Amino acid sequence: MSPKQKRLIFGVLAVLLAVVIAVLYRRYVWNSPDATLSWTRGATTYVLRSPRLLGLLLVAPVFLLILPRSLADLPWQQQMLSLGLRLAFVAALALALSRVARTERAEHVYTVFLVDVSDSVSPESIAEATRSLKQFLGARRKDDRTRVITFARRPRLVEMDEMATEPPVLARHDADATTHFGAGTNLQAALQLAYGLFPPGYLRHAVLFSDGVETDGDLLAEANRAEKLGVKLFTVPYRGAIPGEVAIQRMRLPDHVKVGEAFEIHADVYASRAGQAKALLYQGEALNGLDGARTLTLVPGVNDVVFKSVVRVGGEVTYRLELAPLGEDKFQENNRVAETIDVPGRPSVLYVEGEPTRASPLASGLDRQGFDVDVRAPSSFPGSLRELERYDFLIVSDVPAEQISLSSQELIESYLRELGGGFLFAGGPNGYGPGGWYHTTIERILPVRMDAERRKDMPSVAMSLAIDRSGSMTGLPMEMAKQAARATVDALSADDLIEVIAFDSTPTRYVKMQPARNRSRIENDIARIQAGGGTEIFPALDAAYQDLSVVQARKKHVILLTDGRASSSGIRDLVQAMAAESITVTTVGLGAEVDDQLLSLIKDFGGGRYHKVPDPGSLPKIFTREAEMIAKSSVTLDYFPMKQVAPADFLRGIDVATAPLLSGYTATKMKAWPAQEILVNADHDDPLLARWRVGLGYALAWTSDVKARWAGDLARWSGWPQFWGQLVHEHMRQKRRSELPMKTDVFGGTAHAVVDAFDADDRFDNNLESKLTVQGPLPGGASTTVMLRQTAPGRYEASFPLDRYGSFVLRAEHRRHTEDDRVVPVAVSYGHVSNPYPPEYASFEPNLGLLSRAAETTGGARDPEPAAAFDPAGASVTFHQDLWPRFVGAAIVLLVLDLLVRRVRLFDRKFLPKTRTA
Amino acid sequence: MHFYGLPGSTLIAIGAAGAVAIVSLYVLKLRRRPVPVPFVRIWQRILREKEATSLFSQLKRLLSLLVQLALLALLVLALGDPRGFASNKARNVVVLVDASASMKAVDVASALNPNYARIDAAKDEVKRLVRGLGGSDRMLIAQMDAGVTPLSTMTGEVADLDQAVSLVRATDSRADFPRALRFAADVLLGLSSPEIVIVSDGNLGEPRDAAGEVHLGQVAVSFVPIGKGGRNIAITGFSVRRYPLDRDRYEVMLDLYNASKEPEEIELNLLGDGNFVDVTKLKLNPGERLPRFYPNLSGARRTLEATIKPVSGGHDDLPADDHAYALLPDQRRIRVLCVTRGNTYLEASLLLTTYLDVTYVAPSDYPVKAQSFDVTIFDDVTPPVAEGSGSVFYLDPSGESSPVKVDPAPLVNVGFDTLDKKSPFLRWTAVDDVYVGRAHRLIPEPGDKVIGASEKGALLLTGRRAGRRFLALGFNPKDSDFVLRIAWPLFVLNVLTEFVAEDPSYLSSFRTGEVWHVAVPTLSDEVWLSAPGAPSPKRVPVQDGRAVYLGLDAGFYTLEAGPRGAAVKSEFAANLADADESAIEPVAALTVDGKTTGAVEGFHVGVRSEWWIALLLLAVAITTVEWATYHRRITV
Repeated sequence: MSPKQKRLIFGVLAVLLAVVIAVLYRRYVWNSPDATLSWTRGATTYVLRSPRLLGLLLVAPVFLLILPRSLADLPWQQQMLSLGLRLAFVAALALALSRVARTERAEHVYTVFLVDVSDSVSPESIAEATRSLKQFLGARRKDDRTRVITFARRPRLVEMDEMATEPPVLARHDADATTHFGAGTNLQAALQLAYGLFPPGYLRHAVLFSDGVETDGDLLAEANRAEKLGVKLFTVPYRGAIPGEVAIQRMRLPDHVKVGEAFEIHADVYASRAGQAKALLYQGEALNGLDGARTLTLVPGVNDVVFKSVVRVGGEVTYRLELAPLGEDKFQENNRVAETIDVPGRPSVLYVEGEPTRASPLASGLDRQGFDVDVRAPSSFPGSLRELERYDFLIVSDVPAEQISLSSQELIESYLRELGGGFLFAGGPNGYGPGGWYHTTIERILPVRMDAERRKDMPSVAMSLAIDRSGSMTGLPMEMAKQAARATVDALSADDLIEVIAFDSTPTRYVKMQPARNRSRIENDIARIQAGGGTEIFPALDAAYQDLSVVQARKKHVILLTDGRASSSGIRDLVQAMAAESITVTTVGLGAEVDDQLLSLIKDFGGGRYHKVPDPGSLPKIFTREAEMIAKSSVTLDYFPMKQVAPADFLRGIDVATAPLLSGYTATKMKAWPAQEILVNADHDDPLLARWRVGLGYALAWTSDVKARWAGDLARWSGWPQFWGQLVHEHMRQKRRSELPMKTDVFGGTAHAVVDAFDADDRFDNNLESKLTVQGPLPGGASTTVMLRQTAPGRYEASFPLDRYGSFVLRAEHRRHTEDDRVVPVAVSYGHVSNPYPPEYASFEPNLGLLSRAAETTGGARDPEPAAAFDPAGASVTFHQDLWPRFVGAAIVLLVLDLLVRRVRLFDRKFLPKTRTA
Repeated sequence: MHFYGLPGSTLIAIGAAGAVAIVSLYVLKLRRRPVPVPFVRIWQRILREKEATSLFSQLKRLLSLLVQLALLALLVLALGDPRGFASNKARNVVVLVDASASMKAVDVASALNPNYARIDAAKDEVKRLVRGLGGSDRMLIAQMDAGVTPLSTMTGEVADLDQAVSLVRATDSRADFPRALRFAADVLLGLSSPEIVIVSDGNLGEPRDAAGEVHLGQVAVSFVPIGKGGRNIAITGFSVRRYPLDRDRYEVMLDLYNASKEPEEIELNLLGDGNFVDVTKLKLNPGERLPRFYPNLSGARRTLEATIKPVSGGHDDLPADDHAYALLPDQRRIRVLCVTRGNTYLEASLLLTTYLDVTYVAPSDYPVKAQSFDVTIFDDVTPPVAEGSGSVFYLDPSGESSPVKVDPAPLVNVGFDTLDKKSPFLRWTAVDDVYVGRAHRLIPEPGDKVIGASEKGALLLTGRRAGRRFLALGFNPKDSDFVLRIAWPLFVLNVLTEFVAEDPSYLSSFRTGEVWHVAVPTLSDEVWLSAPGAPSPKRVPVQDGRAVYLGLDAGFYTLEAGPRGAAVKSEFAANLADADESAIEPVAALTVDGKTTGAVEGFHVGVRSEWWIALLLLAVAITTVEWATYHRRITV
């Protein structure tokens, strides 16, 4: 064969070899979906763990290409042999680099011991675990390995030699009260940490020493995964003597408690041994009335302790049970439990009355209709929406505007708009315009305006100013009094009547009763007033009374200004007579020497106000305000019947036509639709009762009063309680319109609430917007809000973490968007959950069932013999035994052989001549 | 440097033996072939050249020997498996690989590999990290889904870590990020240079659970973000419930979600028992969640499925949440025992419903042995209640076995003057004007609830005796015009359905990623669970009559309770149903323990600590060159 032919043949062979290797490599290695390649031969499986490095074989054709150009002085047989050896050498290295391995079976066991050192485990039990661990380690076979993990809330790997025969020190975890690391047991986390310790090539065993009381995680669920991961679990329950312990595991209250109805409270009290304990049950802050203190005789195990109780007033009621064990008790945390329930009480009404002593007609009427009525003076108005939320209906009656602050007025608006409360604004001498409510928040939310037009047939106001001109008034007081009188004239309308009487021991009419339009003449007359003389009030008041009693006006008012003391003789009778003719009297006391008692008496009987003024400079302001208040008021004191002008459900069964007459009201004007006029003054068609919606709630305006002053006859009417009862019922906050049952539970520190909603036809109620308010821990805990998510037709669910210990009340508001884009309340749900203390302190008996089931699920067993923890029980594990060192060793041999072939002539030792072809 | 392979003495022995062999072979002189050369001058010239180059020949010979010895040294050294020096700064790294459902998104796919998902990209990233480990670094790879599963030990073995990476598999559940972080912190406790690497698309939620926020102390946390798109439409809720009264009908709720930033048009298919029930085309705005209800459905007996797909032009990166499953609760027939001497009106009312199994017995034949019933109706008889009788409905009870005391003095010409109209026993009935010719006053005990009463006393009340519910009607319906009204069969139906209410805790589907407590149909503790796609059922533990299982995959499951071969089968369904998981827009950075995680640092891809690989690669290179030089006589 010529060299050229030789090169050609070897070249072709090299190309063929390259193509074959490339195709096989691409097909079986490069495009393989698996990261490894494996094949089985006999009972052995071989695997290439980095098969891509087999690509080194692609250098093999290079050796072929070079061979025909060889200058080596070797017979062709030896050259071919050398080529084979060199290819084998490269193949051996390629296989080594591709990490050829074979699966081997082994029966070595790697056992991880998991030792519970949580707070619920006694020192005796830990000592028992140490002794037991020593026995287990003593049963370890030569090739087996072990590790130890201790755990409470979290697991920790204990430093020790894998071949140790002595157990390590089993220390408790941090029992710091703030971190509560020891106050929990997470068996699942311990097992998961163990998974990361098992090396390849070992059977995986875990031995769990525990009481099986888990507070976090789920061992059974993890047991499934352990079995899947090939971990066989053995469990060794702690059986050491349980220390003396008394614990309240749970307090059970009925789901529904009614006011006034006795019920039972059950408490599950665990005792590790027989003994006694003193139990105190609190309802709120006071001992439970029916059954508050008791000495319990406890038997080992769970004792069902029953208390009787009754709730007298609706609302949130917190029960707290405290135990004082009379014997050994290891943990104090579990001796106290609180539960709160929401007891639906009677609907509650807050009645804010300007004259609380006169509140009884309405308060007693509502009480008879089944309402809890809380009568308060304006000064006790609730300071927060939260406090106002407790009430279903709010009545503000005959209260001057200055006694209800702006912030309180805004609270009322929020109460209506956001909470859906009902609000009735009742009149009286201090209601509406006379009370200074004009242009206030209250006027804005009421369905009537307070700037009612005056009636044309008579002057609105007739006012008499009785000004003390005694000697003590000389100087600035007198000048300021005159300025106040002039300001009063300016404040009145042209048709209003005014007179000015200056008095010392006798009264003098400086300005006779005349229309206020004669301003310049009146002011000139006022300027003539001179100080001097004593002080006698009676004659001045009498003169004013005489003058006012003969004039026609809707409002007759006297302002009495004095700076000294005078005889009170006859004044009381005089003022009463004036009041009988609807003449009101306001008194102004200037300086410190005034007779407060007398002026207050005049005010009380005169139905006006008493202003005590230390500085004469403020007199004009006071007079002006009085004038405006009187002038703008449109109180009508006249007997009139009421008339129904629009249908209203709450008037069903009530014949208002037969109701007694009212004797006064404040004229107002209806606002535009949707304000609705229900009742009117039958004589003048002025609004008497009107209503409209404000946000979610109702605002009602009652322009007469709700007490004996103007509604005295009506209050004696048999329909009075029913009228107000039905009115309040229809317009009060509808928080209990419908109640959907709520189910709650707590697991692993997370509370879960479920509400099932059905409509009236027992169909699923969908698309509710449900908001859950969680308040706690009670008393006084913060409120958080979570949304209930609809998870199925008619089903709404929410989960939230309970990161504090105590009792929590849950309140869900269910609302719906209407077609006209309003949000209306549909129903409410109530529930309560309790997370009294770390569950670690709740149970001390070993949970044998859990430990057995978990072990059985993985193929292990409870209470194994020490040898069982290392017994492969016929099982074996396959693992990869790396073969690459063998291939490197083979390569060394091949290297030497190749050298031998090169250095020693093995063929053609006699140098036979080459045969030539012809 | 440390040797992890053969012992040093063995290496020295092998090396020495090999070296001796090689040197010995080089000492041997290859016997050259005699070549007759006819031309003397040429031969003389060759001999002259040989003298001139003899020194060079010696050098070539020596060089050749050195090359062979070098090859031998490389191989012997490789056998020793040398590693770098251990360092105090050796890192201990826990890699948490997100295997939640969002990692099935194929937004990272290419035209060449259309099935390349985020989980594949995550695995590739982890492989790069493994390749970049330092000489003394150790790593543990854990899969993070609803649980956390370590797939390797804390090791520096690349092969073991590669094997762990290959085991990572995306599930249909959300990732429990706090649990995974707490696990990593447990593993790294007390180790040097602890570090957590999170390989995820970042949709992990807040690292906070019921125990509070996760605190990692000095553990460094870095983040390898995966994913690049976020176009996804999903079914985030699918459930079905039978109506409480009309059990033949049911209502389905579907929750659809468009997690994309563009509006999507979708086709929604609803299937019952594999047949199409409804096909709808919908348009969802960006971020829109759309609940849909299908009321008053009937037809399907067991299974319901819903699927969505984008209509032409649409796109969906995560198909895993496009399919949902639900099972209707079993429509179990109510077993009713009617103890009567014959009552046409009662029998007629019991014929009106299809889901009753009614057994009639004469009073003398009661109790019926070896049978149990859901409800027993005592018609004008009041025998002692036997075991297995279920709840009891008394018509005109009397005698000592009556659950309530009965006033023997008859009431004549009475009716219901007060009624609890909210009582479920009186749903949809109008009985205000029922005329009763003759009745007996029932005297309730504490805890009993009076549902209807005349002015003279209670006529209808309910309560519980010895744990058994009962309802007592204080007159024989035949003595009234009740039986002539439409309210009568409704009343009987109400009584039966109220006594045998559907299990309120029934779930038409479980959520993946949660521990399921599935009701076991028998009392057996031997329960086998077949998961969708699983080759064989596996045994699961039972606690309080419920099988406990942490489910990670959506689909239909089959539960077999009892000995194999005689097991009672039941089914249930599971869905992802998690809008947060369906919002697959990748997150660029994570915040853990109040700190923003950084990018991974210090992982430099190289041959790392496994120097034997480099040594062998070098050996291959040398032997290739040496082959060429030998045959061209550059070396000898």
